Amino acid sequence: MRGTLLYIGQRLVLIAVTTVLVSSIVFILLHQIPGNAFLNETRTSPEALAADLRHYGLDKPLPTQYVAWVSGVLHGNLGESLVNRGVMITPLLIRETSVSFTVGFFAILITIGVGLLLGVVAALRQNTWIDYGASSAAVVGYSIPNFVIAIFMLLIFGHYFYDWTQGTVFYNVGWGDWTQIPVPAIALGLPYASYVARLTRASMLETIRTDYVRTAWAKGLKARIVVLRHALRNALIPVVTILGPLITGIITGSVVIENIFGIPGLGKEFVQSILARDYNIVIGVFTFYAALVGLANLTVDVIYPALDPRIRY
Amino acid sequence: MSRFAVFRSLAVALGTISVVAACGGGGGTTSENLAADQTLSFPIVDDVGNTDPGKMSAGVDIDIFRNTYSGLYKFDDQLNEVPDIATGPPQVSSDGLTYTYKLKQNVKFSNGDPVKADDFVFSWNRAAAMQGDYATLLNVVAGYDDVANGKATEMTGLKKIDDYSFSATLSAPAGYWYTENALWTLWVVNKKIVLAAGKATDTAWADNPATAIGTGPFKMTARTPKQSIDFAPVPNWYGGSTGTLTKVHIEIVADQKAQITKYESGGYSLIGFAQGSLTPEDVIRYNSDSQLKKQLTLEPQARTSWIGFNMCEGPGKPVKSCTAASPFGGDGNGKLLREAFSLAVDRDQLIDIACSKGTACIKATGGVITKGLKGYLGDNTDPWAKFDKAKAQQLLQQAGGPSAVGNLTYTYNTSAQNKAVCDNLASQWRANLGVTVQCAATDRASFFNARTKCSYPIFRHSWGADYDHPQDWFDFLFVTDAGSSGSCYSNPALDQLEKNANTKVLSESLGDYKKANQILVDNCVTGNLFYGVQQYLVHPYVKGAGGNPLYDNYWAGVKILQH
Repeated sequence: MRGTLLYIGQRLVLIAVTTVLVSSIVFILLHQIPGNAFLNETRTSPEALAADLRHYGLDKPLPTQYVAWVSGVLHGNLGESLVNRGVMITPLLIRETSVSFTVGFFAILITIGVGLLLGVVAALRQNTWIDYGASSAAVVGYSIPNFVIAIFMLLIFGHYFYDWTQGTVFYNVGWGDWTQIPVPAIALGLPYASYVARLTRASMLETIRTDYVRTAWAKGLKARIVVLRHALRNALIPVVTILGPLITGIITGSVVIENIFGIPGLGKEFVQSILARDYNIVIGVFTFYAALVGLANLTVDVIYPALDPRIRY
Repeated sequence: MSRFAVFRSLAVALGTISVVAACGGGGGTTSENLAADQTLSFPIVDDVGNTDPGKMSAGVDIDIFRNTYSGLYKFDDQLNEVPDIATGPPQVSSDGLTYTYKLKQNVKFSNGDPVKADDFVFSWNRAAAMQGDYATLLNVVAGYDDVANGKATEMTGLKKIDDYSFSATLSAPAGYWYTENALWTLWVVNKKIVLAAGKATDTAWADNPATAIGTGPFKMTARTPKQSIDFAPVPNWYGGSTGTLTKVHIEIVADQKAQITKYESGGYSLIGFAQGSLTPEDVIRYNSDSQLKKQLTLEPQARTSWIGFNMCEGPGKPVKSCTAASPFGGDGNGKLLREAFSLAVDRDQLIDIACSKGTACIKATGGVITKGLKGYLGDNTDPWAKFDKAKAQQLLQQAGGPSAVGNLTYTYNTSAQNKAVCDNLASQWRANLGVTVQCAATDRASFFNARTKCSYPIFRHSWGADYDHPQDWFDFLFVTDAGSSGSCYSNPALDQLEKNANTKVLSESLGDYKKANQILVDNCVTGNLFYGVQQYLVHPYVKGAGGNPLYDNYWAGVKILQH
């Protein structure tokens, strides 16, 4: 336990260092791109531009800007949006992260739930039509990009369902109540569920052929006990290994999904802030993403000892 | 009374009642039955940039907040300038320098505070000090420079006369000043509220629904940044009726497909307010269906797009920003090439391909100022906007042939329409002139940054009018060292014409502006391509929605019928 806590502590420090490093690199690189957030097709006068640059401290030397930014970050203040005046970035990103986390969480549940179910069923019914069906569904699932799935789901659940049910049951674009979660969560999680299904199937096939599982069957244990308590637990180790990258994929995949479904999350902000040269938000988003990915991988690493007591930190 | 008599009496009574009911008003039946839910909802692609009138510049922000703020004058739905808070047009001194304004005495902010001359003087001074994109609207007022430079907080030319009147003294006659009085930078803000929230130039008060106090019929009631904004009518608004709407809900949804899906499921009342638009496929789909077409309204939009030619003749010539000669510069071969490139474009084909079969724009044939605005030269008055392949080739040969232009790249800021335009232009120039032009897309900020430095030899240019006055075009695009030029064009004759025109009222100066526009046409300074079209998609049960070339209709005129 002590070892695990120490390990977690070390990883948290590493995550913090990585986050600062990523943010700093992004900060420096962003300021090298020509143009700024204030140039547009309206009549920006040199005086108005100078006033905006002065307000945001963008007229100062880069090292001075960097120091000011670091100081703000250490106080939890990521600054103000350059494009949407008056919008403070820290509460904005916290709110958007919670939105993305909600969709992402359900996407992960779908990824794991559907993936494990398909994988286990396919393995237990190997070489039957159930196995072939589940495997084929998995292949189709990871062959189709999530943005294609998203557009199809928008069309079916947002448009056709509205027509078929005369407006009673349909997906309503946007964000505001729980009914707006399932469709984007499915679009986000389904491709990754296919990966999990294939990996689970392969892992289960290997595990159910081991001596201890055969012994469990021979002892007359119920199928549920053999599969869930004995076979699946060990079959999960390879699955947990890819969970880290999967969660990263879901986090980054949300960029497209949130734009398609009109979800005001971190992914949508990521795209729009880069296009608008909203430096402050871009750096904030990268900071949040770096921390999220680090924490997601740490969470996965912490799950290992629970599955396999032989693994200790 | 016999039983028969009773029945007869009852029958007569019932018959009388039926006749009265049939002939009478029917009590609750009206020609337009309003829906119980009077919420107007529509999407915008990105959140508003500035909520403070002193800093506002984006069309989206202006279209939204002209329902919550107002000023001395406004443009009605037909773009006529009419008094709003002012009692009437200003009194102008004989030298054309001093404008005296009288305020209506019943005007109140949404929190009930009366509007006084102090508020106007404060609002205009702070707008000058804040140096937003449109602060230069005030640069004709005496004392502006000191306020703009931070040396003073008040313009010497602004004077309060009494609680309900004030004057503005200009540093030089400016015929366009009256038109500018109706613009958003000169809207009135509540001095007490602004100062209570911080310094005069702080903008935080405008972001907070509790303190975003204006004089319009609506007020902001909720805002979740990057997600949604809500408005509600002002109770007991001084101006009378605020219409039938009880709520306006605006959602920020970046994806246009998601917007149309929600519109078609009844989630939005309309798409198109606050400069919304549709994808080309959806516009064509709606325009091609006889039933769906009833929901689509295409309004002329005060925007012109043209081929921008770099007019530099050499380093520092004709303006300092020039770093190198452009093949299109000057009045010799450069002019021939400009004419050739413009004549080689079949605009009918361009509109068909790049403007969703004419639903997103219309041919520009009357000069750079958009059709419908003052200063427009008239249909088919631009000889270089006609397609003439033979003449184009002849002009190109006179200029030295394709080798005279070398390797050309047409640059534009990334958008689906801009790409379609460039692809079509390049294809037509290849086919009609034998000239190969590459298309290069770049993101908006980089594009504008480079264009203002006259970095591109040939490029996409576009201008959306801020107000219906030719000065808005010339001062920012075509006079020497104009801030948004992109072409580094310089013509002393045009500069002088424009300068003289600016000093006169429009009725006297319109002829001069048209002459200036004609100079641009005669010299083929711009290869005018098309004028914009604003698309509105409105459900049949939403009445009063739409707009004019510059703005959306006010929300107070919109109503939702039963459906």
